[in-house]
Amino acid sequence: MKDGIYRNTCPRNCYGTCGILSHVKNGKLIKVTGDPEHGYSKGSLCAKGYAFTQYVYSPDRIKYPMLQSPRGSGKWKRISWDEAYTIIASKMIDLNQRYGSNLASGYNKFSGNLGLLHYATEGMFNSIGPHTKPIGNPCALTGKLAMNRSFGESFSSVPEDMAGSKLIVLWGANPAVTNVHQMKFIKEARSKGAKLVVIDPIFTQTAKKADLYIQIHPGTDRLLALGIAKLVIEKQQHSLEFLEEQTSGWMEYKEYLENQLTMDEVCKQTGVEIEALKELSELYGTIKPVATWAGLGVQRNSHGSESISAINSLAAVTGNLFLPNGGLYFMHFDVDDFPCALLNHKGPEHPMIPGPREVDISDYASSALQLSEPPLSLLWIASRNITQDHNLKAWVELFQKLELIVTVDLYMTKTAEKSDIVLPAATHFEEEDLNVGYWHYWLSINQKAIPPYYEAKSDLQIARELTRKLNELSPGFSNFPADKEPIDWIKEELTPEIMALYSLTTYEDILKRPYQKGIQKVLSHDKKNFRLFSPDGKKSEVSLYQGDSSGVDEYKLITPQSLLKIHSQYESLNWLNRTQDESCIELSTEAAQLNDINDQEKIEVYNDQGQIVGVAKINPHLPKNIILTHQAGNNPINQLIIQQNEEDVSTYFYDSIVYIKKWRESHV
Amino acid sequence: MFKQLGYSFNADDCIGCKACEIACKNENQTPAHVRWRKVTKTSGDFFLSVSCNHCDNPECFRVCPERAFTKRQDGIVEIDENRCTGCQLCVTACPYSAPQFDPETQKMSKCQMCYPRQDAGLPPACVEACTTGALNHVDLNKFSDLEATRTLPGFPNIKITSPSIVFYPVKPRKRYFIK
Ligand code: SF4
Ligand code: SF4
Ligand code: SF4
Repeated sequence: MKDGIYRNTCPRNCYGTCGILSHVKNGKLIKVTGDPEHGYSKGSLCAKGYAFTQYVYSPDRIKYPMLQSPRGSGKWKRISWDEAYTIIASKMIDLNQRYGSNLASGYNKFSGNLGLLHYATEGMFNSIGPHTKPIGNPCALTGKLAMNRSFGESFSSVPEDMAGSKLIVLWGANPAVTNVHQMKFIKEARSKGAKLVVIDPIFTQTAKKADLYIQIHPGTDRLLALGIAKLVIEKQQHSLEFLEEQTSGWMEYKEYLENQLTMDEVCKQTGVEIEALKELSELYGTIKPVATWAGLGVQRNSHGSESISAINSLAAVTGNLFLPNGGLYFMHFDVDDFPCALLNHKGPEHPMIPGPREVDISDYASSALQLSEPPLSLLWIASRNITQDHNLKAWVELFQKLELIVTVDLYMTKTAEKSDIVLPAATHFEEEDLNVGYWHYWLSINQKAIPPYYEAKSDLQIARELTRKLNELSPGFSNFPADKEPIDWIKEELTPEIMALYSLTTYEDILKRPYQKGIQKVLSHDKKNFRLFSPDGKKSEVSLYQGDSSGVDEYKLITPQSLLKIHSQYESLNWLNRTQDESCIELSTEAAQLNDINDQEKIEVYNDQGQIVGVAKINPHLPKNIILTHQAGNNPINQLIIQQNEEDVSTYFYDSIVYIKKWRESHV
Repeated sequence: MFKQLGYSFNADDCIGCKACEIACKNENQTPAHVRWRKVTKTSGDFFLSVSCNHCDNPECFRVCPERAFTKRQDGIVEIDENRCTGCQLCVTACPYSAPQFDPETQKMSKCQMCYPRQDAGLPPACVEACTTGALNHVDLNKFSDLEATRTLPGFPNIKITSPSIVFYPVKPRKRYFIK
């Protein structure tokens, strides 16, 4: 690699998808800076981004393929890539001969690296014909489907335009922690006189900055949104013309608000006092343009779909939906515009089995345990730390049944520790890729800037090499195009339609700077048929979790993202996370008193799924029925998440009930 | 002094994101325990981002027996690591704990206000990293703003060294908590 500056893109599951300039000297990444040509991140990164030199050269990175036997013993042995491929390929071929198909081989992959070329894992499995694969999206599916119902497609306004809003209302979003770049557009708006409102059960870092903060019971956003709409309509501040011409369901919606929704009920259920409702409705009713952001937190509970729809409808009622600098923010799925050639690669057909066997990723382990004829026997894990998942008990059981577990990762995660084989993954600085955001509308390249760390390889390179081994041992086993280079795959994504959409004339353009999508589509005024909220009837009551008179108190568990980690990513970097501190469990003053718990005391949070121990921190601003903890690898909090038996939804991370008690040695 | 380069810090805009602190590590490749810039939360529930303040009366300069510190014409207080013997007198003298001791090299080091960057016309790395614009570099000889203050609650005593930093305080906000 030549010395100089390369263009990279941060591939994290994050709103930023930031442009990075990588400074390389003697084949080493010596520092990173933000790409000033990137119109969203505008030349800066976040703290995690600035720690990339440490992330790349951390001595904790996995250097070589390793084999552990017996599994979980900690007895690791370095093996060559060829040995690793031989073991894996032989097992796949053996399972195929045993069962007559590849259904016994499967993978689990999610959001560790969102680059388009990381679909190589999917492509690699497609290439062997019917296999077992995850489907769904635990993070945002409920919201995505609710958006589709409202707009007929996905919809999210242009983030840079928030700088021109007069009122910004954030529902369950905390950009000061999870989306720092958005704060500069919010600040710009405020310096021109705009007001910031934050609605959240937690007094978040963003809430602290808000002109108006309204605390709300978790899962009741829809009632607050409906209540505000009711007040706006009562005061005749609604946009009648827009509602009559561009929406459907207006009469039904209006009738519902006027006759079935009482403000008493709204206040009681949401916990929000009437003065706050009046104040916010006055802002919504009299200011234009208003930017409304329905955060991901809103849709991670069983009322999530209704809440998103009610918030969207509030933006419609006040006429802000398609106003420039107004609009509605959620996230978008523009990656679907791309061919995603690796993801959609067509494998060989099987004479009897029509297609792959699909397992809901939100409940992967317990669903996979139900599979028989053949059972799932080989599991390939990439871009994923399974122990961050809920329902850990099922994972433990599944791991016991699997014949071979392969994990591709950069670090020895808890998942890697439980695997038979780990394969060292490349960082994005060591591979080529192409990245599209899900929040902003920029497309950017990721160049190979440095040689791989020891023997690390990209998911794509692994797919190519494993394919060759499979076909060497069993000719024709896989139809993966192993000869195609990364650049061929990137060019395949840049179809004439995509080039036009992003105003690219040649492939070389994208090497010079990031490009923004033509965004007329997002702002278009002629969106007919916005669908207003209609009550779904099946669940109208809200349980308040006010505690139980029998003396056992129930708490809702809220587990937001941390500032310096993404789930378990980055937790071993000492620039960011200096002490591997014990989980900190935040509880309200009332809950502490009731359970006789002091600040800094060890406590246990538990339910029938499991228990975690941590240090109590009394948070005087926490509602009394909430327990707040952050996600961490050492004490994976998601083991306490109880998954609903519903299809096509996000995981309801913020719906689980837990109990607390003082920790006593004898309990463990 | 031609200039007195320093910082302005707006506590109302700072979100405590630590981009400035880690951008400094990225620029200068300091080990984890050598923290030239630190973001801390005050008891008043707001954040401070503090490095060496390139003071008017630098105590480090005064106490250092090796004369390792110099104050440049533009006000930047520089440390020459070659002269440092690791006696750590400056650590106790500096009210802001700006000089940082590295047990591995047995030397002190501290924020040099990114003078190589500034000499090249670039802002300090921490300032460039601050997305909200809370942290800025200013020439205090030219700076005047009636809204700015010399200190904030939680910031160490400024009388000893007269640090080259100005502040903007947190503004009051309206909040509705669940009763
Ligand atoms: S802040 Fe401390 S180290 Fe910096 S110049 Fe002042 S006294 Fe010296
Ligand atoms: S000016 Fe440079 S050296 Fe000083 S704190 Fe900022 S980034 Fe670090
Ligand atoms: S980068 Fe700016 S906003 Fe973030 S902690 Fe530093 S001063 Fe505060």
